[in-house]
Amino acid sequence: MTKAARDSLSRAPGKAGVGTVPSTPGQPDMWILVLIEALTFFSYFVVYTYSYKANSVAFLEAQSHLNLLFGVINTLILLTSSWSIALAVEKSRNGNFSGAIANVWLTVGCGLTFLALKLYEWSLKIGEGLYFSSNEFFSFYYFLTGMHLLHVLVGFIVLGVAIYQLSSPRRRSQEIVETCATYWHMVDFLWVIIFALLYIMR
Amino acid sequence: MQISTQSRLLLSWFGLSAVTLLAWWIGAHHGTGPLKPDLAVAFGAIAITAVKVRVILREFMDVRHAPARLRHMSDALLALFIAALTTAYIV
Repeated sequence: MTKAARDSLSRAPGKAGVGTVPSTPGQPDMWILVLIEALTFFSYFVVYTYSYKANSVAFLEAQSHLNLLFGVINTLILLTSSWSIALAVEKSRNGNFSGAIANVWLTVGCGLTFLALKLYEWSLKIGEGLYFSSNEFFSFYYFLTGMHLLHVLVGFIVLGVAIYQLSSPRRRSQEIVETCATYWHMVDFLWVIIFALLYIMR
Repeated sequence: MQISTQSRLLLSWFGLSAVTLLAWWIGAHHGTGPLKPDLAVAFGAIAITAVKVRVILREFMDVRHAPARLRHMSDALLALFIAALTTAYIV
């Protein structure tokens, strides 16, 4: 059975997938990239957690300089962006391409808000004299959030590809739209972990 | 009862936002004075994160409709990560 045929069977419009044929969302290559990125970040997270526990007094003192509210707002923004791009995929599947484009733009807006808030938070920390080299916790803080922000920036290009694909009937490829969404969801779940480790863990 | 995919996505977003607020409450209600190591807060944060990542994978990334090998691999990888994180915190 071809991929297109499987898609048509498995993506019954608006249904929750009862009696459907399993199908990998998007291109398999993107899932390999997600796996590599996840393993890379997971290794950073484990090293951070080990260092945190080994130097807990110094880490906790440095961590008290973070504003938890920034972490919460940024998490809610990225969750909203992820929900919106998932809706875009669903609308595209159902042939509602203008609705899908609107949802991708909402995702872009959420991403830009996240970017602005993160840069503002960094500027506040730098204003307080907390730099990359100030202590081990802030080295991890700038490294993890910086690496993540780099992925957000790449995400804007990926979202641009989704809008480009959706905007013309000659180009529309459900598989590419799903591939773009998969990348953006990875950006979301990586942040969810960063939020827990940097802002919540004690 | 079947619900539409869009309703399911909305419910997932509500759930994810609610547990984010729960994590905020856990992080903010840590008592007064300097921060102290807290096993319950750390494990609570890790557990909430595991749930959130799984919901993002299953619902937003549509892994629940994916072939069994992708479903099982994502669950195994998440379990391995949580085990590694917990071990790194305990040792």
